[in-house]
Amino acid sequence: MKALQVSKITKSYDKVPVLRRVSFSLEVGERAALMGPSGSGKSTLLNCIGGIDRPDEGEISLQGQSLKGMDENELCRLRRGTVSTVFQFFHLLPTLTAAENIEFPLQLSGMSESERKVMLPELIEEVGLSHRSHAMPHELSGGEMQRVAIARALAIRPKLILADEPTGNLDSATGEVILDLLEAISERHGIAMLLVTHSPGVTRICRRTLEMRDGLLVDQSEAAV
Amino acid sequence: MEGNATLNERPVAIGRLLWSRIIWRHWRREPRLILVLVGILALGVAVFLSVRLANKAAVSGFGMFTESIAGESDFILRPTAGTLDVSALRQLRERAGSTPVGIFPVLEVSAVSADRPEDGWVKMVGADLVALQNAAIYTGGGALVAGDSAAGDDGIPGLADRGFVGSSFARRFGIVKGEAMPLIVNGVPVEFDISGVIPENPNLPSVPDNLILMDLPGLQSLAELEGKLSRIELRIAPGIEAGENRQKIGALMWDLAAEKGWILETPEDRKSSVTQMSAAFRLNLTILSGLALLVGIYLIMQAMEAAVVKRRGEIAVLRSLGVTPAQIRAAWLWEGFILGLAGAIVGIILGRLMAMGLVVAISRTVNTLYYETTTSAVTLERGEILFSLVFGVTASLVAALIPAREASMTLPAQSMREGGQGGGLALLRQWPLGLILLAVGIGFAFVPPRVLASGSIVPLGGYLAAVVLVLSASLLIGLLFKPLSMILKRGGKDDPMRLYAASQLRRPEGRHRLTAAGLAVAIGMSAAMGILVASFETTLTGWIQQLLKADLYVAAAGTNSVTNGNTLSASTWEMIEDIPGVSGTDKIRRYEVSVQENNFFLGGVDYNDDPDRFLQLMWLEPPALKGPASLETRSGEAFPGWASESLARRFSLEVGSRIPLPTAEGERPIEVAGIFAEYGNETGTLLVARKFTREWFGDDRISNLAVYLDPEADVELVLETIRKTFPGLVARTNRKLRTDSIRIFHQTFAVTYALEAIAVFIAVAGLGLALAGLLLERRDELATLKALGATRREIARSAMWEGIGLALAGLTGGYLLSFLLGWILIFVINPQSFGWTLSYHVPWFSYIALAAITLSTAAGVAWSVGYRNANLRGERKE
Ligand SMILES: Nc1ncnc2c1ncn2[C@@H]1O[C@H](COP(=O)(O)OP(=O)(O)OP(=O)(O)O)[C@@H](O)[C@H]1O
Ligand SMILES: [Mg+2]
Repeated sequence: MKALQVSKITKSYDKVPVLRRVSFSLEVGERAALMGPSGSGKSTLLNCIGGIDRPDEGEISLQGQSLKGMDENELCRLRRGTVSTVFQFFHLLPTLTAAENIEFPLQLSGMSESERKVMLPELIEEVGLSHRSHAMPHELSGGEMQRVAIARALAIRPKLILADEPTGNLDSATGEVILDLLEAISERHGIAMLLVTHSPGVTRICRRTLEMRDGLLVDQSEAAV
Repeated sequence: MEGNATLNERPVAIGRLLWSRIIWRHWRREPRLILVLVGILALGVAVFLSVRLANKAAVSGFGMFTESIAGESDFILRPTAGTLDVSALRQLRERAGSTPVGIFPVLEVSAVSADRPEDGWVKMVGADLVALQNAAIYTGGGALVAGDSAAGDDGIPGLADRGFVGSSFARRFGIVKGEAMPLIVNGVPVEFDISGVIPENPNLPSVPDNLILMDLPGLQSLAELEGKLSRIELRIAPGIEAGENRQKIGALMWDLAAEKGWILETPEDRKSSVTQMSAAFRLNLTILSGLALLVGIYLIMQAMEAAVVKRRGEIAVLRSLGVTPAQIRAAWLWEGFILGLAGAIVGIILGRLMAMGLVVAISRTVNTLYYETTTSAVTLERGEILFSLVFGVTASLVAALIPAREASMTLPAQSMREGGQGGGLALLRQWPLGLILLAVGIGFAFVPPRVLASGSIVPLGGYLAAVVLVLSASLLIGLLFKPLSMILKRGGKDDPMRLYAASQLRRPEGRHRLTAAGLAVAIGMSAAMGILVASFETTLTGWIQQLLKADLYVAAAGTNSVTNGNTLSASTWEMIEDIPGVSGTDKIRRYEVSVQENNFFLGGVDYNDDPDRFLQLMWLEPPALKGPASLETRSGEAFPGWASESLARRFSLEVGSRIPLPTAEGERPIEVAGIFAEYGNETGTLLVARKFTREWFGDDRISNLAVYLDPEADVELVLETIRKTFPGLVARTNRKLRTDSIRIFHQTFAVTYALEAIAVFIAVAGLGLALAGLLLERRDELATLKALGATRREIARSAMWEGIGLALAGLTGGYLLSFLLGWILIFVINPQSFGWTLSYHVPWFSYIALAAITLSTAAGVAWSVGYRNANLRGERKE
């Protein structure tokens, strides 16, 4: 079973095609980079996979489950357990502390307090934020915010993490650290990842690089590991 | 599928999570924004409640004292016209037989204080005081008659010129017990002793401050109405058989009344005809409560819209983490509920305070017009509190539901896009729906009125049309933002702050639309009332102009109301006709009569012979014969009569139709010879020749006298002569009467103006609060502006331009709406409910004044809101 199977998805905004019959797949635990010029449709593709946007045509399956025909509640369930997203602009909840942001999806999925007590420090530890766990989002640096976002995505132990320019707002050194973190997490937990990026450096943690151009997936080069 | 089950398994836990971690923290972080929201909500509830309370107080002011002397009397017998003879009492007792029933004969006469005639009416009620006392009515069981007066137990000698008053009366006229009070009764001055003050009894309605209670024979001789009664009240003795007795007496009295041509009233009848309040005044208050309701709803919607729309992005994040739309809706509905509750509670307190001011204004108007009310206190009953709570909370819930629903249904990827706005109430962007509603509203205007069982006419189509048009305006107003933004932009090419404001209006948020819609409704309804009043005034002035052709007008003191029974005796008017310089008179005797349980006025008129100088009516259907001859020439057994427009409408009369008129001598058929316009009352008037009424009612007294002078006579001299010879009469020159009429007219609408001003003021305050909210939400942008070098004043200026844009949208929309609403008021609602034909007249000057005031207030409020909020610390993006 593939972690992700995308077949022939199409999407237009106001009759302008943004995705044109895009197809590809990811194996369990596989990491792939998605590159391409600005406006080529990378974020749109990611949003469709994450179930926060819908393609006009085509089919997306996660862990063998097709998103087609799922209603909003079923998509919610998917987002609570199978797939999570890390955004370029972090999108932390502004009223919650770092730790609470990470804890939130656990509470949503109904984990008991005693379990959360064990798991939360582990997650915080894993992204290296123990010293900042009580800070509010607006008190954190960009790199720290992205660590929170990654821990939040990781919390539900998803099968697939979608990351939209996870290093796009960070300096290169911090970006490197975040990439290492993502790679480590993926390896440790066997999580597949699709990373949208503009920086070729990201490809170093990916086995494959996908190239988008004008809504078409034009190239699927196999990078050296 | 198990999906739904697992998702909605722990609604409480997830609800608590969203509540404690998200909503509550927002509140704690932004107490000011929450205060603004609660403030807007409170204002909405307050304006709604205060107009309701004031309306109610005014209505109960009329309804109080039930015009019944025996408190809750079970039946009242009254004549269809004129007075009853005391012999009726005997007949009534015979009929009642041994059934235990209290019988209270009552005579009512109005008088005026000789010292202070301007203080308005005094109502003199003559009743059997001993019987009243035995029934412990109005005495609270205490001594009324025997107490301090020297009266013996049986009969009350020497009470003819003595009376009892309530403590409020004593205060009003500065009466001390035992002191004489000079009064003018039926044009005759009398000295009058106040022999006691009736104690207040908390269990009874307070005695009105214009009522003098007297012994019946005393009042009869004082008013020269020996052997006459206004009505007889019946009260069934309490006890186990009361119900049965009430039925028995009811049946007996019904027969008696039918036989004698009297009217039998039950308490239910009286409740249904609760008030004698002018229907015009009531219509005013109805429209105003509607206005308050709508403005309130807009304010609340605006507040709740803001609360939800502002967090659109956050809702998207929650959704991307797997919170279901239902859970999000539930959380935000709870927020709406709690904010609504808080706003309603504050609003109730505020509304209570506002109502007190309104009631004073309303009862002042009512007093000048109808004289028969006491300033009834505002009472905040449990029902009203509950109603306002329900109103506030429901409106907030509805207001929260629509945007919450929308925010939770939009695909999160959409809402998350930076600046991906245009959310909020999608409904408000449906301008095609607005056009459809516009057509539907105009269509409703042509729906014929509903006639109720009671005979009163309800212009249902007209009201529906008004409501639908208001809704349509709220939707169409969105279309104004783009052109307004262009105008702002064009005029301000070199002012970046103005351009910035224009850019805000080009992409209006829901609250822009709601604010403008609220303002448009307030302005539209107020201006429509302005059209009604102006049309009314123009028509009325023209009518008075035409009607008043005589040089002098004479009436018994205080006769400013047709319901008042004061009259001039034959000797009085004959003497006036003999004054040198008087060339002729028109005389009218008014009666209140009732046909098919509908009251109207009957006028016996007597015109002078000069064909150029008799009363000129405005004819809708002129009679075939010119002049008074038309009233005097009988055709067959019917008597000719002229019907007023409203009477014609109420009884569906045309020229040639007949109406049976009850008189003291039995029924007389009247044939309508002509129909005339009349704006003095909405009950209707029937005019017949006085030579007939004199016969039918056996009385030669008159109500008013119009005096025509020789061309060379000195008006002032004749006026002086009349005043000196008859101190109990009021004589006015033509010009004085005109100005008095117009003054009374303006007083009627004084409250209207005040209430409208409040509505517009609140809408402008809503605009200020809306801007405050918008700026609080835009604090990041403000921080950017400041980083770019904008000063505090410049930010204030941009807020001012935005406020001006909003006010312009509201004004434009409101004025367009007012033309339509005015049209409906004048051509649909007004003719249907009063039977008055008015000409359409727009008060352009008031329009310009209102626009200037609204714009400048809005600009000032917006500027200061901007100035206050310019220093808000920007938030760092998370
Ligand atoms: N909600 C929307 N409405 C209209 N057009 C949209 C919308 N979302 C995306 N687009 C358009 O779709 C195209 C693809 O957008 P997308 O965000 O997927 O690009 P991207 O490849 O992620 O670009 P970048 O590298 O700059 O983030 C763009 O041309 C964009 O303008
Ligand atoms: Mg992108």
